[in-house]
Amino acid sequence: MSDAPERHSKHLYRAVIVIVGGLIAIFSSRLLLMPKSFGEHGWYRFDNVAEQMAKPVKHGGNASCKSCHGEQSEQHDGAGHATVPCESCHAPLATHVKEKKKSADMKVERTYKLCARCHQKLEARPKDFPQVVLKEHLEDQGETLEGDVCLNCHQPHAPLEDL
Amino acid sequence: MLAKLNRRNFLEVLGQATAAGGLIVLLGPRATQATTTPEDEAYDWEEHSYVYLIDISKCIGCGSCVRGCKAENDVPDGFYRTWVERYAIAGLEEVRIDSPQGGLNGFQPDPTAPASTKSFFVPKLCNHCSNTPCVQVCPVGASYQTKDGLVLVDKDHCVGCGYCVQACPYGSRFLDPETHTAEKCTWCYHRISKGELPACVASCPTGTRRFGDLKREGDEVVAIIRSQNVGVLAKELLTKPRCYYLHLDGEVR
Repeated sequence: MSDAPERHSKHLYRAVIVIVGGLIAIFSSRLLLMPKSFGEHGWYRFDNVAEQMAKPVKHGGNASCKSCHGEQSEQHDGAGHATVPCESCHAPLATHVKEKKKSADMKVERTYKLCARCHQKLEARPKDFPQVVLKEHLEDQGETLEGDVCLNCHQPHAPLEDL
Repeated sequence: MLAKLNRRNFLEVLGQATAAGGLIVLLGPRATQATTTPEDEAYDWEEHSYVYLIDISKCIGCGSCVRGCKAENDVPDGFYRTWVERYAIAGLEEVRIDSPQGGLNGFQPDPTAPASTKSFFVPKLCNHCSNTPCVQVCPVGASYQTKDGLVLVDKDHCVGCGYCVQACPYGSRFLDPETHTAEKCTWCYHRISKGELPACVASCPTGTRRFGDLKREGDEVVAIIRSQNVGVLAKELLTKPRCYYLHLDGEVR
């Protein structure tokens, strides 16, 4: 009878050791394996939000073009293509300017294909949007569908001027 | 206090000190990290709640948005974060949908198409659903929702299992062929968090695509969504998209 409590306490010690050991294993593997900032605002790595925000912006917008190309911008803003962003026909600012200096020539497609993207007559286009059956339109002008034929009559920045 | 230390309260003090030490170890690094992000301190994501509006009646199918998105986000060839579909509906039943290269180079007249009674373009992108299936199925917490209402993917944490690609009812996700991780539209989070518009909205020449903020007073886009007949894609799925369509035809899916 005298040694009974001692035996019971031995069971208790083992259980405590197993529980404490388990907790240490759980918390240390959590610290080691879980990415930093995971769980701060939900079940994801919060640092990724800042990483997403830090990506560089490539399109600069019309104002950025205007700072160097004032004359073209003014003509563009006062004519039929005013709502067409510069970079939609040209290319994103980042391909042309780096650290506020020109890094490469601005690419622009000059063929009828660029014009056709918006103005080739398609059944699905809104009826009030200016569009032509390119081939017929060019035949009427005595031209053929090739190369930069559209530019013979239309100035892209002010497409209906001087016609 | 030390003078009064006996066996019993020594154990109490020891217990309290251990608990406090443990808390500092566990909470310390988190508390400091929270103040270091987001990087742009001027941006508070709790002050925004974004919505997107697409006016189908204005879309000319030029594909400027697709090209703008590709250039802004380096989207791999053959994959699209946003794309344009052409619907041609004959009578009440026959629906023909095409989207050559996602509309990247615009559309050509289709001589093989049957005479349709109505035809229109439908730009598509991630709907940034408020109740999104893609985040629910992610097993590792790589897909998540931000407080300003976006659904984003943590590329460094994604294991590329593709569950989210299958879960998205709108086909908005794909696996990046190089990194083999999930990819999708972010509404150009790097732009909108700097006050810019998403690249697709900034590239649109007709005002088809517009971007709004529910938490901005007097927001025009929000006013349109509240006052006009707008719809969302696959409403019956209860995903609560943040993308609203103006003049949405019932055949669009």
